[in-house]
Amino acid sequence: MSNFSHPYIANSEQDKKEMLAELGLNSIDELYSDIPDSIRFKGKLELPHFQSEFEVKEHIEKLLSKNVSTRECRSFLGGGLLDVYIPAAQDELLRRTEFYSAYTPYQPETSQGTLHTLFEYQSMICELLAMDTANCSMYDWATALGEAALMTARINKKGNKFLYTAATAPNRKEVLKNYVSGAKLEIIEIPYDKETGKMDKEKAIELMGEGVVGIYFENPNYFGVIEDEIEEVIKVAKEKKIVVVAGVDTSSLGIMEAPGNYGADIAIGDAQSIGAGPLNYGGPLAGVFAMKFDKKWTRQMPGRIVGITLTPKKGKWAFTNTLQTREQHIKRFRATSNICTNEALMAMSTAFHLALLGPQGLKETGESMYYNAHYLKEELEKIGVKTVFNSEFFNTFLVDLKIPKDKKEEFTKFMLERKIFAGIPFSLDGETYDYLITTSYLLKKKDLDDYVKAIEEWRNE
Amino acid sequence: MTYKQATYDEPLIFELGKPGRRGHLPPKTDVPPREITIPSNMKRKEPPQLPEIHEGEVVRHYLHLSQMNYCVDTGIYPLGSCTMKYNPKINEALARNEKLCYIHPYQPEETVQGILELIYNLQKILSELAGLPYCTLQPAAGAAGEYLGLNLIRAYHHDRGDYDRIDIITPDSSHGTNPASTVMNGFNIIEIESNKDGQVDLEALKAVVSEKTAGFMITNPNTLGIFESQIEEISKIIHDAGGLLYYDGANFNAIVGMIRPGEMGFDVLHFNLHKTFSTPHGGGGPGSGAVCCSERLSPYLPVPIVEFDKANNRYFLNYDIPKTVGKIHGYYGNIAIALRGYAYICALGADGLIETSRQAVLNANYVMRKLEEIDGLVLKYNRELPRKHECVLDATPLKHEIGVGAMDIAKMLISRGYHAPTVLFPLIVHEALMIEPTENENKESLDRYIQVFKEEIAKAKENPQYAHDAPYNTAVGRVDDAWATRNLILSWKMIKELEKKGQWPPQWPEDH
Ligand SMILES: Cc1ncc(COP(=O)(O)O)c(C=O)c1O
Repeated sequence: MSNFSHPYIANSEQDKKEMLAELGLNSIDELYSDIPDSIRFKGKLELPHFQSEFEVKEHIEKLLSKNVSTRECRSFLGGGLLDVYIPAAQDELLRRTEFYSAYTPYQPETSQGTLHTLFEYQSMICELLAMDTANCSMYDWATALGEAALMTARINKKGNKFLYTAATAPNRKEVLKNYVSGAKLEIIEIPYDKETGKMDKEKAIELMGEGVVGIYFENPNYFGVIEDEIEEVIKVAKEKKIVVVAGVDTSSLGIMEAPGNYGADIAIGDAQSIGAGPLNYGGPLAGVFAMKFDKKWTRQMPGRIVGITLTPKKGKWAFTNTLQTREQHIKRFRATSNICTNEALMAMSTAFHLALLGPQGLKETGESMYYNAHYLKEELEKIGVKTVFNSEFFNTFLVDLKIPKDKKEEFTKFMLERKIFAGIPFSLDGETYDYLITTSYLLKKKDLDDYVKAIEEWRNE
Repeated sequence: MTYKQATYDEPLIFELGKPGRRGHLPPKTDVPPREITIPSNMKRKEPPQLPEIHEGEVVRHYLHLSQMNYCVDTGIYPLGSCTMKYNPKINEALARNEKLCYIHPYQPEETVQGILELIYNLQKILSELAGLPYCTLQPAAGAAGEYLGLNLIRAYHHDRGDYDRIDIITPDSSHGTNPASTVMNGFNIIEIESNKDGQVDLEALKAVVSEKTAGFMITNPNTLGIFESQIEEISKIIHDAGGLLYYDGANFNAIVGMIRPGEMGFDVLHFNLHKTFSTPHGGGGPGSGAVCCSERLSPYLPVPIVEFDKANNRYFLNYDIPKTVGKIHGYYGNIAIALRGYAYICALGADGLIETSRQAVLNANYVMRKLEEIDGLVLKYNRELPRKHECVLDATPLKHEIGVGAMDIAKMLISRGYHAPTVLFPLIVHEALMIEPTENENKESLDRYIQVFKEEIAKAKENPQYAHDAPYNTAVGRVDDAWATRNLILSWKMIKELEKKGQWPPQWPEDH
């Protein structure tokens, strides 16, 4: 491997020689002399290799060219993610290497940029959700749910049951199941009302018995239905000291009430919908985790938290990672969570986005989505297509299409030919599919009309 | 060289702006407005207090903040265990491709063949490097990979009706996430002491293995940068006891292409693509913690796995894994990060990756031998052993001598415009300075760093107070972490409440 030179490697052959000479070595091999021969890999690795940056670029662009993006095909897909627009100014800030090529601010004095921005992220999240404190991100909404369930069990040490509604997104349920499995926390599903799609409140209250540590619901829920009858459930939960966890669509918060104002103790969600970043085929995202302030509870929070502190210069306060004694690098197996690397850049990106969007922009995007969804619903009704649940909703609803299993692929193709991603199939009966439709603020009236037309054509075929 | 970090008295963004200013006009629908019939209890009453600023000022604010940040492109960032290597710019450019950014995870498979192929290729590459045939990119970071790996281990034992295997053994040198993931996963953790060579003490290991042993977690080279040369014996001891082996691949930058953990008997491993494969650390994340595993653990992999259907020449998401442990991420993991890692591997190829490791190791040993000469720093554990991609020096002698410890040294280094090593980790070295230069530093850069290290320690010896008062030249002086914990001011909202009570801005104590 003589004269190996590559842009990602700093030293030349000559440098290597000099360094080895100073170490009194002949070859780098000597630094590996302690590795037994028996375990060394002696074969030849089968790995791709491209001669230059240009060729790497060509290769990857060629691969990606096989994808069809939501800029080419009208997307009615949501399910916890939203097709958003990232303003150029936001991307410009994201491209600042000072932000993206730093790591966790372990040396706060030289990392005030990251810390200050993350503090602003935490603060904006608190304003949105009407909460007091937020961490500076979980991996995503699903893992935030897992962490929230575990946290309720740390707060309520005596119990071992966590309630969640059946109208929780299936992928989040899966992660929840996984996250609680080690803690021996039993999760119990609260059914939803078959007519309204809302949480069955009688059943919820009945289930809030002995040993329940927390209760989780989504608002709007996975079906897009607004959970507007939960007052009593929350009241009972409070009486029984059951921690209330709300999962919210962050993009709804310009027009929908903040969970902190209707009784949630902990609020979670994904900042992707509020502009943390584009869809990115589902990652990276930015799990939101916020709560009401309570000295004891806050110490049970997972993840990194930025706080304010003093510096030697009177009057000059600054930012630092705080409550680090909850974290794995200090507490090891007693830590509140195993999370280390999180989604900090996505959190910072959220701050950029919200700073640009402002309260007016947030309201307008919310309204656009609301108008789009309600217009679409009415137009579908005009051709005789109903929604499954007749409840108030924000930007998502379940359309009663009842596509038989064996027709599903054909339907997808049919819609694709009309440049439409039709929505997320969801089966209520195990036999047929209804479609969960989300309207982003990028869709225009023509897109919605085309959707209705396509459905009409499908039904006439 | 004189250094001065940019310093602005930058307010919180909430203090900027005025009602009516706009930073961005979002797209609006042309569907006519209508009455919003959200029930009153769920209708927003008061808009969130977000800033109202024009675009130029938003950019200026965050630009100022960015300038108060040290990063890999500022200078050497030898933060041990974190592999702060250069983030190739082409990877950032590629990640802006619209056909990556704007694809939804639930799109029809025929519209995402490109990204599925890329994921599939990367799975294969990582498997090749790990020597383990199966791979998933679902874990969003290393710790999530550990958690998933432990899930697989548990599922395996349970599937065999072996419910009593509840112990996971790990050396006390292991990363904090190892014990944290273990306990979170419901296992019992057993930490064993390292021997005088900084390696796993085989006798201690034999003493704790039993019919309760579920598995063993190790990173190799370990967090001291020392290669666990008895890995085959360890592997045998664990396997004989019926346990499985987990390889924390966070330190893979030392051994790429030279060792394949699967061939040493490991059943499961995670990679940190944000370390070994150059994806940016983002001020704390996102990362990507891909997991590879052996045949016997493959029935439990999380859903979905990307596979290739030869007959139909098509990539697909396989959800049909009957014994799956479920999901560890809402979707398929941090795909836009994985793409960057893939681009990096494509650019280097096998030879390049191997050379990368070798240079990372050379750099670490070079720095170590030079710093070891400083009076007051010692190389704990067998100093004869070469280190791998990182080394850990102990400043305990200096601390005893003049009261200046690892944290003080860190603060002096950042005063000079260089990033500090990881300090006070691993916990088994009291005044640890954990240094990982990576292959991104050339000889001159390392020599400068060594020189600055020497100069600063010399200054501290002359005047220990100089060390305690550091850092200088950074945006702010040494922050008071204890005050932050006592006072817990965690959001703008909390500041506003303090303000109402007349308790903001904070008062400096008399003796501060
Ligand atoms: C040795 C080791 N193991 C595990 C981890 C955890 O990885 P992550 O931070 O990606 O969760 C790290 C890094 O932080 C590490 O250095």
